[in-house]
Amino acid sequence: MSTGTSGLKRWYVIGAPYLWLLVFFLIPFFIVFKLSLSEVATAIPPYTPTFSWSTGIVSFLSQLDFQNYSFIFGDPLYVNAYLSSLKIAFFSTILTLLVAYPMAYGMARAPKSWQPTLMMLVILPFWTSFLIRIYAWIAILKPEGFLSIFLIKLGLISEPLQIMNTTTAVYIGIVYSYLPFMILPLYASLEKINPSLLEAAQDLGSHPWRAFWQVTFPLSLPGVFAGCLLVFIPAVGEFVIPDLLGGSETLMIGKTLWTEFFNNRDWPLASAVAVLLLLVLIIPIVLFQRQQEAEREAAR
Amino acid sequence: MAVATAQPPANAPSQQRAGPRTAAPQSGFAPWKNPSLPPIVRFENITKRFDDFVAVNNVTLDIYEKEFFALLGPSGCGKSTLLRMLAGFERPTEGKIIVAGQDITELPPYERPVNMMFQSYALFPHMTVEGNIGFGLRQEGMPKDKLAERVDEAMGMLELRQFAKRKPNQLSGGQQQRVALARAIAKKPRIVLLDEPLGALDKKLRQQAQFELMRIQETTGTTFIIVTHDQEEAMTVASRIAVMEKGVLVQVATPGDIYENPKTRYIAGFIGDVNIFEGTVSKVAEGCIEIEGKDGYKFKTRSTEAVTVGQSVCLALRPEKIRIGREKPATDLNVIPGKVEDIGYLGSISHYHVRTAPGERITALRANAAHAVEQSITWEDGVWLDWPVDAGVVLAG
Repeated sequence: MSTGTSGLKRWYVIGAPYLWLLVFFLIPFFIVFKLSLSEVATAIPPYTPTFSWSTGIVSFLSQLDFQNYSFIFGDPLYVNAYLSSLKIAFFSTILTLLVAYPMAYGMARAPKSWQPTLMMLVILPFWTSFLIRIYAWIAILKPEGFLSIFLIKLGLISEPLQIMNTTTAVYIGIVYSYLPFMILPLYASLEKINPSLLEAAQDLGSHPWRAFWQVTFPLSLPGVFAGCLLVFIPAVGEFVIPDLLGGSETLMIGKTLWTEFFNNRDWPLASAVAVLLLLVLIIPIVLFQRQQEAEREAAR
Repeated sequence: MAVATAQPPANAPSQQRAGPRTAAPQSGFAPWKNPSLPPIVRFENITKRFDDFVAVNNVTLDIYEKEFFALLGPSGCGKSTLLRMLAGFERPTEGKIIVAGQDITELPPYERPVNMMFQSYALFPHMTVEGNIGFGLRQEGMPKDKLAERVDEAMGMLELRQFAKRKPNQLSGGQQQRVALARAIAKKPRIVLLDEPLGALDKKLRQQAQFELMRIQETTGTTFIIVTHDQEEAMTVASRIAVMEKGVLVQVATPGDIYENPKTRYIAGFIGDVNIFEGTVSKVAEGCIEIEGKDGYKFKTRSTEAVTVGQSVCLALRPEKIRIGREKPATDLNVIPGKVEDIGYLGSISHYHVRTAPGERITALRANAAHAVEQSITWEDGVWLDWPVDAGVVLAG
């Protein structure tokens, strides 16, 4: 009796997250996937076919096709948007890593009593809405914005900077927004490194700079890897930052998707773009999960 | 299970092994007695302060080539700080460190001719055993084939060849400890520093490792400096021991000397068990003094210390120097009657805790040479304790 109820309870506990995933991820995904196989129509909802009990499932399924996908592959606009997104995500990941590493390193080497405060400072931006922070960057980056005024006052430049509505502004926005996601895993892996390892390296004749590359950096690689994927994956599909900070030259798949969906009201095509985006991202997501798994194994 | 072992049980008392060595492996070896021999390491008036805390206070110490030197003391006594200053991880606030005639006080760790074995081993987790041992040689830019040869040599010395390709986390504690030692000797440094090297091992493994350390030290002919808080360990491995207390060197001597002639009450108590009798000097004769104990006993003992009549002193007496018997000894000298309160039977020897009439507790030790000898004295027996004139040590204060 008691094992029966406790067994049932166990199933509730294990089942709850799966139920959540089923209702909020898997079912919506199938809806989107089904949409991507439909055709645009001037109707409400704006696609066809819609399922009806009178015609039956067979005739419904027979009306679905991969037309939207072949359209996407046939139009260089979409392929370019994918490639451009990957490129922007890739380079902003590298930039974020370069900015975050020294910060995480400094945090990990700071006196233990300071570390919670520094950690707090890294997380502090999350207290303000993401959207508001991006709007704040407009005020900084626009030609008559704070950055240009500041640099002109310093006498470093004479003309206002023209970086607003360019890909440069998008890079700045992405690096800024995703910095904490890079710093935190880096800090976690750097903080774990036993300081006596560096003493041992120096004791064995390794100059501190070499010891960094021989010991610290290799041991921080799990953090580098996790941080890069945490930045790269959402950056590929980023919409708000290119929309607000980028210009017409900035081609990103998130923006294309939005245009398809809201401007062109082509829900099926937008869905196909979304499904393809997911396929593009599955490789890094799987890599990320494997790495996390390996981390857990190593920690055991 | 029918195998007879000559080893004492694991809980055999420390005094057994910590006692003076009759056949010390380096009996003829005493470079510190040769005034013309330059020391390999010289600490010159070294003081180290951390803010207000004085970790090491004006230490001057010479260590000679091929010595196995132990820095002994309780935790926080400054022994590790002294070692870390020699390795270059801490800079002395005052004083100089001279190694082989060269002042290395200002040299960074990576330019010093010393290698250290860390308490936590500090093995590089992302490198194999081979990689760890060869790390120091790679920094020198040694050619690959020569490097492999040297790594193999070090692995052979510590029986690590079969683990060459393993990562440290795939090794047992004892194996990791050997890798750490192999890494410290692979560069063939003139001095190897060992910071509590065996602290993480269990007792049995630690004893094996102590002998391994001695073997490696002797075969390589390197100077070893070990930091330890374990007096047994220091007694076992060291040619000389420096006992530290609160940042100050209290005594530097051979293990036998420290055991037989401790300079202070602190050292007498720290190294081995000891019975302490407090009293005042009542008579001073040639090499011999009489002490009137607090409890009315009269002791006669040898004394090399300069003492005067009326001075209060302590008589330190090792348990194994006290004879215990049921018959009253023929002599009246250094005899105390008492009652057996407790017996600690440890196989090869027994401890007898004897309560004297004034209420003092004295520990005597007897080897269980004959079978069933422990039956001859039992609880609540009235016994006589006595000891010869040269058994005790007189300590000031």
